[in-house]
Amino acid sequence: MGLQESLQSYIIDDRTWDEMHNGKSIREQYLGIIQNLEYVGTEELSRKEELANRLFMSQGITFTVYNSGEGIERIFPFDIIPRVITATEWKFIEDGIKQRIKALNLFLKDIYHDQFIIKDGMIPAELVYSCPHYLREMYRLKVPHDIYVHIAGIDLIRDSDGSFFVLEDNLRTPSGVSYMLENREITKRLYPDLLRKNNVRSVTEYPNLLHKNLVSFSPSQQANPVVVMLTPGIHNSAYFEHTTLARLMGIQLVEGKDLVVDNHKVYMKTTTGLQKVDVIYRRVDDDFLDPLAFNPKSLLGVSGLLSAYRQGNVAIINAIGNGVADDKAIYPLVPEMIKYYLNEEPILKNVPTYLMTDRDQREYVFSNIERMVIKKTNESGGYGMLMGHAATEKQIAEYKEEVLKNPREHIAQPIISLSSAPCYIKGKLVPRRVDLRPFALCSAEGIDIVPGGLTRVALKEGSLVVNSSQGGGSKDTWVLAS
Amino acid sequence: MLSRVADSLYWMGRYIERTDGILRMLKINYASSQDDIQEFSWIPVLRIFTYLNDEEAAKISDDSQAVIRYMLLDKDNPNSVVNIVTMARENARSVQDHITIEVWQCLNELYHAVREERLLKLLQKEDPITILDDLIKKGLLYYGTADITMARGLSYSFISIGKYLERGIQTADILETKFSDRNFNNESADILYWKYLLMSVSGYELYLKTYRGGFEFQNVIGQLILNNDFPRSLTHSVSHMNNYFNRLQQQQGTKGSEELERRMGRLRGDIQYSTTDHIISKGLHVYLGEVKNQLNGIADLLNQKYFAPT
Repeated sequence: MGLQESLQSYIIDDRTWDEMHNGKSIREQYLGIIQNLEYVGTEELSRKEELANRLFMSQGITFTVYNSGEGIERIFPFDIIPRVITATEWKFIEDGIKQRIKALNLFLKDIYHDQFIIKDGMIPAELVYSCPHYLREMYRLKVPHDIYVHIAGIDLIRDSDGSFFVLEDNLRTPSGVSYMLENREITKRLYPDLLRKNNVRSVTEYPNLLHKNLVSFSPSQQANPVVVMLTPGIHNSAYFEHTTLARLMGIQLVEGKDLVVDNHKVYMKTTTGLQKVDVIYRRVDDDFLDPLAFNPKSLLGVSGLLSAYRQGNVAIINAIGNGVADDKAIYPLVPEMIKYYLNEEPILKNVPTYLMTDRDQREYVFSNIERMVIKKTNESGGYGMLMGHAATEKQIAEYKEEVLKNPREHIAQPIISLSSAPCYIKGKLVPRRVDLRPFALCSAEGIDIVPGGLTRVALKEGSLVVNSSQGGGSKDTWVLAS
Repeated sequence: MLSRVADSLYWMGRYIERTDGILRMLKINYASSQDDIQEFSWIPVLRIFTYLNDEEAAKISDDSQAVIRYMLLDKDNPNSVVNIVTMARENARSVQDHITIEVWQCLNELYHAVREERLLKLLQKEDPITILDDLIKKGLLYYGTADITMARGLSYSFISIGKYLERGIQTADILETKFSDRNFNNESADILYWKYLLMSVSGYELYLKTYRGGFEFQNVIGQLILNNDFPRSLTHSVSHMNNYFNRLQQQQGTKGSEELERRMGRLRGDIQYSTTDHIISKGLHVYLGEVKNQLNGIADLLNQKYFAPT
């Protein structure tokens, strides 16, 4: 089947916003890429698809799935049709995310210091203190420039009218940025000259920007502070990302066992002895960072790290204890935070969220469960979710029981349909649901968002779950300059 | 440089060198097994490169297919090519920021090639030499790529120390095993034996050019131990290991271990100032035993000094 026919039979349902098609014709921002695809033809497209897979595999852009003791290399599925965002849409997203992160940073500072927001009755104290990621260790600890969220990956989705909603604020160790970079590299190989012709903004500066920021948080007076990236190790599914970022920034990639704390200072063990470390960009969760302070069974962390951090001898990025701000039960209060701290109207919308601790809200959710998705407040990756419309009665009954046992650990949201974008699957263009994760970098000088991001796509027909663990893939994300 | 990184680079160097050695050994011995020597046996090869005991080795030693399968693809053989390439790649993966992206890709591709599922079937149906040649080439691509893309810094020194140490150990092992295999009485069977031995370490042509008068086991020893022009000789391996160690100390800017320096120098001298006569009068086995002890001692000290600091 040719691409023309494929385009004519491109079906979108009228309750879903499609990124390419407005129901009558192809949106302007997609004309450039579609013309090129028509010119290239389906045969060549299938060849490009193969080329993309081969490139990912040979470059080791893979994650390892451990199965019966043996590692199997998998690539994160990549769809060759880019997702296009207009300059106007991007401006809106950019403003919205900056506003949101500004407020969330103020919230973290407040909640770990004077707690005005609790005293003013905007947030119930028990909601904060019941969050397992609220860490008393952070109380009254001054962090450099009062910045807690140095790197954020805010997940955005679009409802049926095309308006943007924030689905999740990822403020701890958001991942996926290497795919933003690698997908772009692959696009350069797949479609020569097309980026330039379409006026697509570059994402290449991300590692340089990040490195500049990391250096700026160094507590040391030295001109060339030692910045390292802390990884859980090669068995971590995001290990590829860790090596890529370390390489692109030219910093050392270290594991917990490479570091040691002496007299509240952090050192790495080198072939010429110990070398002092000033900044740690960590990709290890709070709980595993320091077995003396947190999970004592952790082998991934460094004993004494927290004490070095509290003494101000090392910067840890992102800050410890950020989980209280992206807890799903705190999430519904973010619009209030924006008003409270900034005295501004929120630009990006929140998805309506029902707290399971509230009896009326819970009853409402239970009686409308086929339109609801129930999530755990502290799980990610699409785990531990119940999608009401797709669950069996037995599953629902079991899940309800679990919710009643632990209402604080669950929230519910109406199922939002997510926008669709064209994907090239089995030789045809078909719509699949997508979300968008732009990456924001904060420093004392402000917030930068590299024009692009990770577009995740639910490759299964009809699926609304884009997580890679649940059969999701990704696309290159084009932000147009004009 | 991080101790863990240095350790991984050193082992990466060793594993790749070993892979190359095994693949060449398999290729030439397979050819030799097709060359009608009634006495041909895989036992010496199995003894050099596997941990099988004599009984287990005897079970497969007549079956070239089975030996190649075991040494190439068997996941239960800790020293099989698929396992050591996997370890080399794991090492490389954890130090990607210390090797060039080109080197990483070479290793990654070699890894995917040895794990190709079709390999087992191909091995049964097709000529094993084609398969081995393909893998050898992929390995050579690594050597070339490392040579022209890697900076001559610390990383390169650690990789090279591993590489030459491994090569030295291999050559000593090959000599020891191949010479204990049989008695020599300069019959025609011996000629084939020497020829294939030299070919398996890529030293046949050099031998013909150096020694014109046919095969004498003294000459074979001379080339494998003492000829500095022969890249797999003990003297070549040990002196290169020494050079990279000295360079490493300069690059680190601090004095390394004096003990290590002393032992490296002594081994180099011991080999450089040996003669074939001296080796034979001492007894080849005694001589090789001493060399191997010294090499292992150096490996232990490297570990203590650089890779596992306390």
